Amino acid sequence: MTAYVVPVLFLIVLIASLLKKKDAYSYFIDGSRSAIDLMVGVFPYLMTVMMCVQIFRATGVSAAVSSFIAPVFELLGLPKQLTELLLLRPLSGAGSLAILDNIYATYGADTFIGRCASLIYGSSETVFYVSAIYLSQSKTKKLRYALPVALVSTLLGCIIGCALLRVL
Amino acid sequence: MSKIWLIMLLSALTTALVRDPSVAISAMLAGAKDSVDLAMELVAVYGVWLGFFALLDKVGIADLIAKLLKPVIKFLFKGSSDEAQKYVSMNMSANLIGLGNAATPMGINAVKLLGDEKESANTNVIMLVVISATSLQLLPTTVISMRAAHGSINAADFLLPCMIATVISTIIGIALVKLLSRIFPDSKRKS
Repeated sequence: MTAYVVPVLFLIVLIASLLKKKDAYSYFIDGSRSAIDLMVGVFPYLMTVMMCVQIFRATGVSAAVSSFIAPVFELLGLPKQLTELLLLRPLSGAGSLAILDNIYATYGADTFIGRCASLIYGSSETVFYVSAIYLSQSKTKKLRYALPVALVSTLLGCIIGCALLRVL
Repeated sequence: MSKIWLIMLLSALTTALVRDPSVAISAMLAGAKDSVDLAMELVAVYGVWLGFFALLDKVGIADLIAKLLKPVIKFLFKGSSDEAQKYVSMNMSANLIGLGNAATPMGINAVKLLGDEKESANTNVIMLVVISATSLQLLPTTVISMRAAHGSINAADFLLPCMIATVISTIIGIALVKLLSRIFPDSKRKS
Protein backbone atom coordinates (compact mmCIF):
# COMPACT_ATOMS: atom_id res chain seq x y z
CA MET A 1 0.00 0.00 0.00
CA THR A 2 2.66 2.49 1.04
CA ALA A 3 4.64 1.54 -2.05
CA TYR A 4 2.09 3.52 -4.08
CA VAL A 5 2.72 6.78 -2.23
CA VAL A 6 5.92 7.82 -3.98
CA PRO A 7 5.06 7.06 -7.63
CA VAL A 8 1.60 8.63 -7.21
CA LEU A 9 3.08 11.80 -5.67
CA PHE A 10 5.64 12.18 -8.46
CA LEU A 11 3.02 11.55 -11.15
CA ILE A 12 0.66 14.18 -9.70
CA VAL A 13 3.39 16.79 -9.62
CA LEU A 14 4.68 15.97 -13.10
CA ILE A 15 1.21 16.05 -14.62
CA ALA A 16 0.48 19.34 -12.85
CA SER A 17 3.64 20.83 -14.30
CA LEU A 18 2.62 19.62 -17.78
CA LEU A 19 -0.82 21.22 -17.41
CA LYS A 20 0.71 24.48 -16.25
CA LYS A 21 3.32 24.33 -19.01
CA LYS A 22 6.23 24.58 -16.56
CA ASP A 23 9.69 23.20 -17.34
CA ALA A 24 9.81 20.39 -14.76
CA TYR A 25 13.34 19.34 -15.74
CA SER A 26 15.05 22.62 -14.90
CA TYR A 27 13.07 23.12 -11.67
CA PHE A 28 14.04 19.66 -10.50
CA ILE A 29 17.71 20.46 -11.16
CA ASP A 30 17.42 23.71 -9.20
CA GLY A 31 16.01 21.84 -6.24
CA SER A 32 18.55 19.02 -6.33
CA ARG A 33 21.42 21.49 -6.47
CA SER A 34 20.76 22.56 -2.90
CA ALA A 35 21.28 18.98 -1.63
CA ILE A 36 25.08 19.34 -1.67
CA ASP A 37 25.03 22.69 0.19
CA LEU A 38 22.68 21.19 2.70
CA MET A 39 24.94 18.22 3.35
CA VAL A 40 28.02 20.45 3.64
CA GLY A 41 26.23 22.19 6.49
CA VAL A 42 24.88 19.01 8.08
CA PHE A 43 27.84 16.66 7.75
CA PRO A 44 30.01 18.03 10.62
CA TYR A 45 27.12 17.41 13.04
CA LEU A 46 26.58 13.90 11.70
CA MET A 47 30.22 12.99 11.99
CA THR A 48 30.79 14.45 15.44
CA VAL A 49 27.82 12.64 16.97
CA MET A 50 28.32 9.31 15.21
CA MET A 51 32.00 9.16 16.16
CA CYS A 52 31.07 9.79 19.78
CA VAL A 53 28.28 7.19 19.89
CA GLN A 54 30.51 4.57 18.29
CA ILE A 55 33.31 4.87 20.88
CA PHE A 56 30.74 5.16 23.68
CA ARG A 57 29.34 1.77 22.68
CA ALA A 58 32.63 0.11 21.70
CA THR A 59 34.26 0.76 25.08
CA GLY A 60 31.31 -0.77 26.91
CA VAL A 61 30.44 2.45 28.75
CA SER A 62 27.03 2.49 27.10
CA ALA A 63 26.18 -0.98 28.44
CA ALA A 64 27.53 -0.11 31.90
CA VAL A 65 25.51 3.09 32.18
CA SER A 66 22.43 1.22 30.95
CA SER A 67 22.65 -1.47 33.62
CA PHE A 68 23.14 1.27 36.19
CA ILE A 69 19.95 3.18 35.34
CA ALA A 70 17.88 0.15 34.29
CA PRO A 71 15.98 -0.01 37.63
CA VAL A 72 14.58 3.48 36.98
CA PHE A 73 13.11 2.45 33.64
CA GLU A 74 11.81 -0.80 35.10
CA LEU A 75 9.95 1.23 37.70
CA LEU A 76 8.27 3.10 34.81
CA GLY A 77 7.06 -0.15 33.25
CA LEU A 78 9.74 -0.42 30.59
CA PRO A 79 11.63 -3.74 30.35
CA LYS A 80 15.14 -3.32 31.75
CA GLN A 81 16.64 -5.14 28.74
CA LEU A 82 15.65 -2.12 26.63
CA THR A 83 17.53 0.52 28.60
CA GLU A 84 20.39 0.83 26.13
CA LEU A 85 17.92 1.22 23.28
CA LEU A 86 16.08 3.97 25.15
CA LEU A 87 19.36 5.67 25.96
CA LEU A 88 20.84 5.69 22.48
CA ARG A 89 17.66 6.13 20.43
CA PRO A 90 17.70 9.95 20.75
CA LEU A 91 21.37 10.09 19.76
CA SER A 92 21.89 7.80 16.82
CA GLY A 93 19.52 6.13 14.37
CA ALA A 94 22.13 3.68 13.07
CA GLY A 95 23.45 2.84 16.54
CA SER A 96 20.02 2.18 18.00
CA LEU A 97 18.95 0.17 14.96
CA ALA A 98 21.91 -2.15 15.62
CA ILE A 99 20.71 -2.50 19.21
CA LEU A 100 17.16 -3.24 18.01
CA ASP A 101 18.50 -5.96 15.74
CA ASN A 102 20.41 -7.41 18.68
CA ILE A 103 17.27 -7.39 20.86
CA TYR A 104 15.29 -9.29 18.21
CA ALA A 105 18.11 -11.84 17.93
CA THR A 106 18.45 -12.29 21.71
CA TYR A 107 14.86 -12.16 22.96
CA GLY A 108 12.87 -12.87 19.78
CA ALA A 109 10.76 -10.47 17.71
CA ASP A 110 7.39 -11.70 19.03
CA THR A 111 8.11 -11.60 22.76
CA PHE A 112 6.91 -8.72 24.91
CA ILE A 113 10.45 -7.35 24.96
CA GLY A 114 10.66 -7.57 21.17
CA ARG A 115 7.31 -5.84 20.68
CA CYS A 116 8.16 -3.20 23.23
CA ALA A 117 11.47 -2.54 21.47
CA SER A 118 9.62 -2.17 18.14
CA LEU A 119 7.29 0.35 19.70
CA ILE A 120 10.11 2.36 21.26
CA TYR A 121 12.06 2.53 18.02
CA GLY A 122 9.00 3.13 15.86
CA SER A 123 7.37 5.84 17.93
CA SER A 124 10.46 7.96 18.58
CA GLU A 125 12.99 10.00 16.68
CA THR A 126 16.71 10.72 16.91
CA VAL A 127 15.93 13.84 18.96
CA PHE A 128 19.47 15.21 19.18
CA TYR A 129 20.21 14.55 15.52
CA VAL A 130 16.98 16.18 14.33
CA SER A 131 17.54 19.29 16.44
CA ALA A 132 21.20 19.67 15.41
CA ILE A 133 20.34 19.26 11.73
CA TYR A 134 17.35 21.59 11.78
CA LEU A 135 19.49 24.35 13.28
CA SER A 136 22.51 23.69 11.08
CA GLN A 137 21.72 26.42 8.52
CA SER A 138 20.16 28.95 10.83
CA LYS A 139 21.49 31.72 13.07
CA THR A 140 19.61 30.21 15.98
CA LYS A 141 21.99 28.15 18.10
CA LYS A 142 20.43 27.76 21.54
CA LEU A 143 17.31 25.64 21.80
CA ARG A 144 16.31 26.61 25.34
CA TYR A 145 13.71 24.12 26.60
CA ALA A 146 13.13 22.29 23.29
CA LEU A 147 15.31 19.23 24.01
CA PRO A 148 14.02 18.45 27.53
CA VAL A 149 10.44 18.82 26.25
CA ALA A 150 11.07 16.52 23.29
CA LEU A 151 12.80 13.89 25.44
CA VAL A 152 10.18 13.91 28.19
CA SER A 153 7.29 13.69 25.69
CA THR A 154 8.96 10.82 23.86
CA LEU A 155 9.59 8.94 27.10
CA LEU A 156 5.99 9.44 28.23
CA GLY A 157 4.78 8.20 24.83
CA CYS A 158 6.94 5.07 25.19
CA ILE A 159 5.71 4.39 28.73
CA ILE A 160 2.07 4.67 27.68
CA GLY A 161 2.70 2.65 24.52
CA CYS A 162 4.39 -0.19 26.41
CA ALA A 163 1.57 -0.20 28.96
CA LEU A 164 -0.90 -0.53 26.06
CA LEU A 165 1.12 -3.41 24.62
CA ARG A 166 0.40 -5.42 27.77
CA VAL A 167 -3.34 -5.24 27.13
CA LEU A 168 -3.63 -5.04 23.33
CA MET B 1 24.10 18.69 23.40
CA SER B 2 27.70 19.87 23.80
CA LYS B 3 27.77 18.79 27.45
CA ILE B 4 26.33 15.37 26.72
CA TRP B 5 28.81 14.93 23.92
CA LEU B 6 31.72 15.86 26.17
CA ILE B 7 30.61 13.56 29.00
CA MET B 8 30.12 10.62 26.63
CA LEU B 9 33.49 11.11 24.98
CA LEU B 10 35.38 11.66 28.25
CA SER B 11 33.91 8.58 29.89
CA ALA B 12 34.50 6.44 26.80
CA LEU B 13 38.12 7.59 26.39
CA THR B 14 38.90 7.07 30.08
CA THR B 15 37.48 3.57 29.92
CA ALA B 16 39.52 2.90 26.80
CA LEU B 17 42.71 3.97 28.66
CA VAL B 18 42.03 1.53 31.48
CA ARG B 19 40.82 -1.40 29.41
CA ASP B 20 42.08 -1.36 25.86
CA PRO B 21 43.54 1.89 24.42
CA SER B 22 43.65 0.53 20.87
CA VAL B 23 39.85 0.48 20.68
CA ALA B 24 39.72 4.30 20.79
CA ILE B 25 40.98 5.17 17.34
CA SER B 26 39.35 2.20 15.61
CA ALA B 27 35.95 2.99 17.11
CA MET B 28 36.16 6.72 16.38
CA LEU B 29 37.20 6.06 12.79
CA ALA B 30 34.47 3.47 12.37
CA GLY B 31 31.91 6.01 13.58
CA ALA B 32 33.29 8.69 11.28
CA LYS B 33 33.23 6.30 8.34
CA ASP B 34 29.60 5.41 9.07
CA SER B 35 28.77 9.11 9.01
CA VAL B 36 30.40 9.50 5.60
CA ASP B 37 28.39 6.56 4.26
CA LEU B 38 25.22 8.03 5.73
CA ALA B 39 26.04 11.47 4.32
CA MET B 40 26.48 10.04 0.82
CA GLU B 41 23.16 8.25 1.10
CA LEU B 42 21.46 11.38 2.40
CA VAL B 43 22.83 13.56 -0.43
CA ALA B 44 21.05 11.21 -2.82
CA VAL B 45 17.85 11.24 -0.75
CA TYR B 46 17.87 15.02 -0.32
CA GLY B 47 18.69 15.52 -4.01
CA VAL B 48 15.60 13.59 -5.07
CA TRP B 49 13.27 15.21 -2.53
CA LEU B 50 14.54 18.77 -2.89
CA GLY B 51 14.07 18.39 -6.63
CA PHE B 52 10.57 17.11 -6.02
CA PHE B 53 9.71 19.91 -3.60
CA ALA B 54 11.09 22.59 -5.92
CA LEU B 55 8.70 21.26 -8.52
CA LEU B 56 5.86 21.06 -6.02
CA ASP B 57 6.48 24.69 -5.15
CA LYS B 58 6.66 25.93 -8.74
CA VAL B 59 3.41 24.27 -9.87
CA GLY B 60 1.59 25.80 -6.92
CA ILE B 61 0.74 22.60 -5.03
CA ALA B 62 2.88 23.70 -2.09
CA ASP B 63 0.74 26.81 -1.65
CA LEU B 64 -2.37 24.67 -1.83
CA ILE B 65 -1.17 22.35 0.94
CA ALA B 66 -0.11 25.34 3.01
CA LYS B 67 -3.60 26.79 2.63
CA LEU B 68 -5.20 23.53 3.73
CA LEU B 69 -3.03 23.24 6.82
CA LYS B 70 -3.21 26.94 7.60
CA PRO B 71 -5.59 26.74 10.61
CA VAL B 72 -3.39 24.14 12.34
CA ILE B 73 -0.15 25.92 11.53
CA LYS B 74 -1.46 29.31 12.57
CA PHE B 75 -2.40 27.87 15.95
CA LEU B 76 1.00 26.22 16.42
CA PHE B 77 3.23 28.91 14.94
CA LYS B 78 1.95 32.32 15.94
CA GLY B 79 3.09 35.25 13.85
CA SER B 80 5.05 33.27 11.26
CA SER B 81 5.40 34.46 7.66
CA ASP B 82 3.54 32.85 4.74
CA GLU B 83 6.81 31.60 3.32
CA ALA B 84 7.74 29.94 6.62
CA GLN B 85 4.26 28.42 6.91
CA LYS B 86 4.69 26.88 3.48
CA TYR B 87 7.88 25.06 4.50
CA VAL B 88 6.33 24.02 7.82
CA SER B 89 3.33 22.50 6.04
CA MET B 90 5.65 20.67 3.62
CA ASN B 91 7.69 19.40 6.55
CA MET B 92 4.67 18.16 8.45
CA SER B 93 2.97 16.49 5.50
CA ALA B 94 6.20 14.71 4.51
CA ASN B 95 6.57 13.48 8.10
CA LEU B 96 2.97 12.31 8.24
CA ILE B 97 3.17 10.16 5.12
CA GLY B 98 6.34 8.56 6.44
CA LEU B 99 8.90 10.37 4.29
CA GLY B 100 11.06 11.49 7.21
CA ASN B 101 14.15 12.05 5.08
CA ALA B 102 12.17 14.25 2.70
CA ALA B 103 10.91 16.24 5.67
CA THR B 104 14.39 17.16 6.89
CA PRO B 105 15.40 19.65 4.15
CA MET B 106 11.99 21.33 4.49
CA GLY B 107 12.47 21.57 8.25
CA ILE B 108 15.88 23.18 7.82
CA ASN B 109 14.40 25.83 5.52
CA ALA B 110 11.48 26.36 7.88
CA VAL B 111 13.79 26.95 10.87
CA LYS B 112 15.77 29.45 8.82
CA LEU B 113 12.60 31.44 8.15
CA LEU B 114 10.98 31.00 11.57
CA GLY B 115 14.11 32.05 13.45
CA ASP B 116 15.23 35.59 13.95
CA GLU B 117 18.72 37.06 14.15
CA LYS B 118 19.07 36.09 17.78
CA GLU B 119 21.14 33.19 19.00
CA SER B 120 18.51 31.61 21.22
CA ALA B 121 15.47 30.01 19.65
CA ASN B 122 12.04 31.66 19.66
CA THR B 123 8.88 29.73 20.46
CA ASN B 124 8.14 28.94 16.81
CA VAL B 125 11.53 27.33 16.27
CA ILE B 126 11.17 25.35 19.50
CA MET B 127 7.71 24.21 18.42
CA LEU B 128 8.95 22.91 15.08
CA VAL B 129 11.91 21.10 16.64
CA VAL B 130 9.68 19.50 19.29
CA ILE B 131 7.04 18.40 16.76
CA SER B 132 9.69 16.88 14.49
CA ALA B 133 11.68 15.34 17.34
CA THR B 134 8.63 13.64 18.85
CA SER B 135 8.15 11.94 15.49
CA LEU B 136 5.00 12.39 13.46
CA GLN B 137 5.77 9.25 11.52
CA LEU B 138 2.79 6.93 11.57
CA LEU B 139 4.23 3.95 9.74
CA PRO B 140 7.66 2.76 10.95
CA THR B 141 8.54 0.74 7.85
CA THR B 142 12.13 0.01 8.94
CA VAL B 143 11.00 -1.66 12.16
CA ILE B 144 8.31 -3.72 10.44
CA SER B 145 10.67 -5.10 7.82
CA MET B 146 13.35 -5.79 10.43
CA ARG B 147 10.87 -7.66 12.64
CA ALA B 148 9.71 -9.67 9.65
CA ALA B 149 13.32 -10.55 8.87
CA HIS B 150 13.65 -11.93 12.41
CA GLY B 151 10.74 -14.31 11.79
CA SER B 152 7.89 -12.41 13.40
CA ILE B 153 4.50 -13.99 12.71
CA ASN B 154 2.69 -10.67 12.54
CA ALA B 155 5.37 -8.02 12.12
CA ALA B 156 2.95 -5.10 12.25
CA ASP B 157 1.01 -6.10 15.38
CA PHE B 158 2.57 -3.35 17.52
CA LEU B 159 1.32 -0.63 15.16
CA LEU B 160 -1.78 0.53 17.02
CA PRO B 161 -0.07 1.12 20.40
CA CYS B 162 2.88 2.57 18.47
CA MET B 163 0.67 5.11 16.70
CA ILE B 164 -0.99 6.00 19.99
CA ALA B 165 2.43 6.48 21.59
CA THR B 166 3.56 8.69 18.69
CA VAL B 167 0.45 10.84 18.78
CA ILE B 168 0.50 11.14 22.57
CA SER B 169 4.16 12.14 22.63
CA THR B 170 3.56 14.82 19.99
CA ILE B 171 0.49 16.17 21.81
CA ILE B 172 2.36 16.27 25.14
CA GLY B 173 5.23 18.03 23.37
CA ILE B 174 2.96 20.67 21.83
CA ALA B 175 1.16 21.23 25.14
CA LEU B 176 4.44 21.59 27.04
CA VAL B 177 5.79 24.11 24.52
CA LYS B 178 2.55 26.11 24.70
CA LEU B 179 2.78 26.07 28.50
CA LEU B 180 6.49 26.86 28.76
CA SER B 181 6.26 29.66 26.20
CA ARG B 182 3.94 31.42 28.66
CA ILE B 183 6.33 30.91 31.56
CA PHE B 184 9.39 31.92 29.53
CA PRO B 185 8.07 34.38 26.94
CA ASP B 186 10.18 35.34 23.92
CA SER B 187 10.33 39.05 24.64
CA LYS B 188 11.92 38.75 28.04
CA ARG B 189 14.76 36.48 27.01
CA LYS B 190 18.31 37.61 26.60
CA SER B 191 19.80 36.83 23.24
